[in-house]
Amino acid sequence: MINLDFLNPAENNNVLEQEEANEYMENLSVPTFEIPLVHNPVEFLKHQTHAAEQCRLSIVHGTTTLAFKFKHGVIVCVDSRATSGTYIASQTVKKVIEINPYLLGTMAGGAADCSYWERELGRRCRLYELRNKERISVAAASKLLCNMVYAYKGMGLSMGTMVCGWDKKGPGLYYVDNDGTRLEGDLFSVGSGSTFAYGILDSGFKYDMTPEEAYDLGRRAIYHATFRDSASGGIVSCYHVKQDGWTLISRTNVKELHYKYQDEPKAPLV
Amino acid sequence: MALAGEDFCIVAADTRQSDGYHINCRYAPKAHQLSDKTVIGTSGFYADGLNFVKKIKQRMEWYFHQHDKTMSTTAIAQLISIMLYQKRFFPYYVFCVIGGIDENGKGCVYSYDSVGNAERVQYQAAGSGNELLQPFLDSQIGLKNRSNENETLNLTEEMAIKIVKDAFSSVTERDIHTGDCVEIYIIRKDGVECQKYPLKRD
Amino acid sequence: MITFFLVLLQSGNEYNGGAVVAMVGKDCVAIASDKRFGLELLTLATDFEKIFKMNDKCYIGLAGLATDVQTLSEELKLKCDLYKLREEREITPKKFAHLVSSTLYDHRWGPYFCEPCIAGLDENNKPFICSTDLIGCINFAKDFVVCGTTARELYGICESFWEPDLGPEELFEVISQSLLNAFDRDSKSGWGAVVHIITPEKIITRHLKTRQD
Repeated sequence: MINLDFLNPAENNNVLEQEEANEYMENLSVPTFEIPLVHNPVEFLKHQTHAAEQCRLSIVHGTTTLAFKFKHGVIVCVDSRATSGTYIASQTVKKVIEINPYLLGTMAGGAADCSYWERELGRRCRLYELRNKERISVAAASKLLCNMVYAYKGMGLSMGTMVCGWDKKGPGLYYVDNDGTRLEGDLFSVGSGSTFAYGILDSGFKYDMTPEEAYDLGRRAIYHATFRDSASGGIVSCYHVKQDGWTLISRTNVKELHYKYQDEPKAPLV
Repeated sequence: MALAGEDFCIVAADTRQSDGYHINCRYAPKAHQLSDKTVIGTSGFYADGLNFVKKIKQRMEWYFHQHDKTMSTTAIAQLISIMLYQKRFFPYYVFCVIGGIDENGKGCVYSYDSVGNAERVQYQAAGSGNELLQPFLDSQIGLKNRSNENETLNLTEEMAIKIVKDAFSSVTERDIHTGDCVEIYIIRKDGVECQKYPLKRD
Repeated sequence: MITFFLVLLQSGNEYNGGAVVAMVGKDCVAIASDKRFGLELLTLATDFEKIFKMNDKCYIGLAGLATDVQTLSEELKLKCDLYKLREEREITPKKFAHLVSSTLYDHRWGPYFCEPCIAGLDENNKPFICSTDLIGCINFAKDFVVCGTTARELYGICESFWEPDLGPEELFEVISQSLLNAFDRDSKSGWGAVVHIITPEKIITRHLKTRQD
């Protein structure tokens, strides 16, 4: 929320109490952001971040992430590249954000936007747990995230995330983005390489796969996306969400995957 | 730029401050010591950098009075991320890296974009010369595209300093915003040392 | 049409991506490029070579808009062959550089969106390399020349790796390591690389195994 304290100046009769309250607010309230003092802050920011201009700000982008539900839970696979312009800023980004032992969030779009808001989500989920003495459901967690970013709609946030977890209803998978969209589904892929990943996923997906088959499908989909999409690459990470929380299955360098898949016999063209 | 070894860490920054083709100042330090375990390197808009460092120091002071201990490197890393994100809609034009020793006595480096996306890495270049520097570090420290790619390099302090000096003299050749002098902060378990090393002044 | 042209003017060199680098050694030169052909972020092919042989001692690498790379290479090859028929000798790299320069300047107001790197040995087997900008301003260099979307990364790493008087094998190692590490930091180039080493006796061509992302 934009801090509008100056509209109703507080009475300063109990400074100490006020300070204490402020401190409390600082710790628990909605975070506040500084807004440039210009007529139209949104346009101002767009101008500042306009790509390909030197001496402006570049924000890290570009991704392939996917998640799908199947018989044994939820599989989450992501690449690890961050690009700013054509330059590869990092090949080792952690695009799966471990919100708590039962919830995972993925990162696509602005890296800072995703990691900040999902950290904030983690904090709120913990508060929910403490207040209600039970774990938050995936639906509720994704709704929290959705509501948080919806408040900033149109201000230039960039986030496409999948919230994955396991609750009373079983495996949960929700897609949330910066427009405030929130969708429940069985299979999602987000990011610049998502179309390529969907191609592999849709052709190989079966609900009653074994976990091993599912890991391989996820890795394959990400690998093929990294091959075709130049903004994806690096390391393929694979997570499996089960009833008793998530586990990290593998981190594989795309270079190894490529030469592994290349040596495999190709399926005959019918 | 910054790089981490097993039990030490190096943060180095050149001292040129320029505006387009014009050099404003040949000695304007861009690396600042935050505590006896942490050093920050900033690049981008110089005033933003100075102001940002000042604010970090203030927050560290508050932390010290509140908790009666100096902030650890990992805590500072998280603080910086949040402080940068608080200005999401009017960002600081700074690209910073911090280097230091973590709670386990290991060297660590955190890199950031201008709105606070943080990542812990082994080495990182930031600023106008980062595209020139980073591939060199990938090769020399990350051992990318080498036959021993999957091994980790046992980096000694002398090697690290040599790499830093090499890297900066190369970048100075091709990047007009880098030059004059490089300040190398070496962070060890028992404190911080600063070495200065002259670069080309053209 | 005009809008399309303006868009190209701003980003013609970055539409397809690519990296070319040439280096001088002791009595030899090396020229290397990546093999990607892409449309902005999408990779279409990974066997698109950007280096063209003009004669046994002269190679040209072209980075930029793929259509112009092909057209320009054909045009230059034609001009080289005509030169050979007329003069009954091979064109030297230096003369070839001026030929490239004037060919590019002919299109001063509607340029080819390519930056050439030329590498070769002259009549005394002295190494020669140069690069030009997209309208033909020649940059003669004694060490290395680079062009393409990876230029900045290449500059940084070549500046550190290159040293004078490298033999053919050392030069191969230096140019390969420089190119590989540079284009691993550029999203628009990579997907395989090819290196040519030109020595007075022979040409060594090697294809490198690289990351495929």
